[in-house]
Amino acid sequence: MMNDRLRAVSGQIIAVAVALIMGAIIILMVGESPVRVFMTLLRGAFGDQAKIAGTLLQTTPILICGVAACVGLRGGMFNVGIEGQLFLGGFAAAWVGFAFPLPAGIHMLAALALAVVAGAAWVAIPAYFRARYNTNEVVSTILSNYVAVLLTSYFTIFLFKRPGGWSETPPILPTAYLPGIFDFSRLNWGLVIGLVLAIGAALVFRYTSWGYGVTMVGSAPKFAEYGGVNVKWQGFVVLLLSGAVGGLAGGVETLGVHHRFMEGFAPGFGFDGLIAALLANGSPVATIFTALFFGALRNGSLLLEVDTGASREIITVIQALIILSVSAQALVRRRGDSQAGERRWKF
Amino acid sequence: MSNALGSSTLHNAGNNAVGAGVAGMAVALTGITKRFGGFVANDGVDLAVRRGEIHAVIGENGAGKTTLMNILFGLLQPDEGSIRLNDEETVVADPAVAIKAGLGMVHQHFKLVPSLSVADNVFLGMEIRRHGLIDHAAQIARTRELAERFGLRVDPTERVGLLSVGIEQRIEILKVLVRGARTIILDEPTAVLTPQESRELFQTLRSFVAEGMTVIFISHHLEEVMEVSDTVTVLRNGKKVATRPTAELSKNELVRMMVGREVSFDRRPREPQHGDVVLEVKELWARDDRRLPALRNVNLEVRSGEVVGIAGVAGNGQTELAEVLSGLRSASHGVARLKDRNLAALSPAEIRAAGLAHVPGDRMVRGVDRNASIAANMLMGRQHRAPWSRGGVLNWNAIGQNASKLIKDFDIRAQGSGDAVKRLSGGNIQKVVLAREFTNGADFLLIDQPTRGVDIGAQEAIHDEIMRQRAAGRAILLISVQLDELAALADRILVMFNGRIMGEVAGDHADEDRIGMMMAGVAVPEFATEPA
Repeated sequence: MMNDRLRAVSGQIIAVAVALIMGAIIILMVGESPVRVFMTLLRGAFGDQAKIAGTLLQTTPILICGVAACVGLRGGMFNVGIEGQLFLGGFAAAWVGFAFPLPAGIHMLAALALAVVAGAAWVAIPAYFRARYNTNEVVSTILSNYVAVLLTSYFTIFLFKRPGGWSETPPILPTAYLPGIFDFSRLNWGLVIGLVLAIGAALVFRYTSWGYGVTMVGSAPKFAEYGGVNVKWQGFVVLLLSGAVGGLAGGVETLGVHHRFMEGFAPGFGFDGLIAALLANGSPVATIFTALFFGALRNGSLLLEVDTGASREIITVIQALIILSVSAQALVRRRGDSQAGERRWKF
Repeated sequence: MSNALGSSTLHNAGNNAVGAGVAGMAVALTGITKRFGGFVANDGVDLAVRRGEIHAVIGENGAGKTTLMNILFGLLQPDEGSIRLNDEETVVADPAVAIKAGLGMVHQHFKLVPSLSVADNVFLGMEIRRHGLIDHAAQIARTRELAERFGLRVDPTERVGLLSVGIEQRIEILKVLVRGARTIILDEPTAVLTPQESRELFQTLRSFVAEGMTVIFISHHLEEVMEVSDTVTVLRNGKKVATRPTAELSKNELVRMMVGREVSFDRRPREPQHGDVVLEVKELWARDDRRLPALRNVNLEVRSGEVVGIAGVAGNGQTELAEVLSGLRSASHGVARLKDRNLAALSPAEIRAAGLAHVPGDRMVRGVDRNASIAANMLMGRQHRAPWSRGGVLNWNAIGQNASKLIKDFDIRAQGSGDAVKRLSGGNIQKVVLAREFTNGADFLLIDQPTRGVDIGAQEAIHDEIMRQRAAGRAILLISVQLDELAALADRILVMFNGRIMGEVAGDHADEDRIGMMMAGVAVPEFATEPA
């Protein structure tokens, strides 16, 4: 059992290493020194207190979105719509924040609550069609992203636009702010929310009867069905929860960082979270580390264009390479598995 | 050990020459060793097959038969050892080499295109062409000619999708013949056939050797081997035990060589019991996944303390019957009652709560999560019950202890309850399922193919356990494609064909011919049961 886990972890590390080596080759091809680029990334991510705080600030939404993805994956649901849920959650939180004056604290909780509801409601449509008509949730959630992004743009530009030239809502009231952790950074309690969610999700999956059923739905659906778990219903519930967490990520980003909703306020966090969750093999606790890795890449890249000749897009390339090598690894492993499986069946 | 052919092998083989004009070896494998990780599937195996004989390779599941054949056919490469085909040293790098040397293999799973005709399938990839176009007439004529020559009854113009498994197998054999095979390997060919179809297959095999061809026949069915083969090679645990002329062997000797000790598949002794009706099925109809009728007017009852067997070739509605009874499929008409509760109104979880335990036929998909631990697998179905769970929170301590106890009680060979199920052998995986299901406290046990893919030692233990459950007053519905299993265990045997119960036979009067006819769809009047 331990052996399996060790093999899985080392496999992922090798996949990342392969991606970094391929990234290095590409850096060489654009005429930069890979060593200098990687050192700059490292310095940009962890060089001093402020940079570390910046990395953690980037990590927060990736982590929460990663947990959202993990919740879905655990129940066998591939929620690719976290980006859209994040946008709607972000907008919903901002709306509560600027439109409804409430006492401090309660105001913030109400805003986060509506973000959660918005995320869940947004995924409820694909989840319903999945449960009722077995439509592929990957396709429907991907498509729902575009609608979500454009819908929140519409709200922002036409319904709630702040006077002036910016495409953003009025600022939220300070009563709805997520408190910061340090004076020198915008890092806020969202990170703690993310950590608690990740550990909480792991505990729920491991130590509750419900979590056991959901895990079985994800890993062996026919077995779960045979054992009396309502597979369709649990799939629906899991997608809804995943969307709820995705919405919360948006709320945290709005209340903790931007204090308003802007068009394109959090580009790619939903997708980065999904990649972090996949790299973590769907384990919420491991997602803490993979989210940190992607947060560091993002934050480190800010320094790239200042200090080196490489574009910061290089980190997008590296991320893509990671996706490729992780999925290639999964293919190789599955092939080995299926041979072993056939063998076992025969013997 | 490293000597190519033990001299006794040669000597024995020589005694049993049948129809062989040329003294020579069609196939000679020497010292073949194949490892998968730490597992040795073949350990220095020798196999010598004379030209013109039917050579059976027999052994328990897991003895290494299929691995050896895959090596011979170039699908796997041996770690050690050499291969001679037609007395020539050959490196069989891939199947193309084997085919060129005149080998042909009929696999367990057929690879046919359902939308094409029989002849098109036979010639797929090597079509007869005329002016650049496929010459269908020539293909049909050639297929018909070969089929008639070897007694393979099949219409070359029919679409494969409409044909039965038995005919599909004939098409696979024709494919091999068309490609010029002189040595034909058949991997467990009778597993999918009715007894009558098996007999026809044996006729075909005999016509092959009459023409000087060679047949290698993999099986674990003793009767077949005794009936059809000239020479037998027995494998056990990856090693060759012996190669002997069939005529010199008795069935008991053969079993002893396969298992290493005597095993009896005689009828299990039992006390007659007359319990209450636990399961009652009346005029049950259901459709399969393609929406075609799979169950047609099935009537049966199972009383407590009784084992009712369901015989039939796989795919005649047994799966659908099991699924309806466990709530995984809805019936289109009719009633099934478990202790007077109508199953149609209950979810799978509620049916379990009402008293169903289910050993599914598709063990690896339905019965377990291969990647999860034994403990997690044994939790399924009781994850909401004390002492395993309280207030929705699992107690992994209690779960682990329970699993360890079941591992001991059911003699599951594992290091501990944390072992992943995929690390276990087929027999032990099945014991995990049995341990979980038989300790549920259910009154009705639905047991589907309990010993498929399980070695003989574990088979016996599983049969013992089923008889213990019968003695404890459980009502048992036992679905099996193995007649000897049903004859050993069942009080009554119902035969299914095409979704219907063709008839009923008392377990102590199980007659293979009569059951075989019903399995093939022939109603046997004095046994046919009409719905009341």
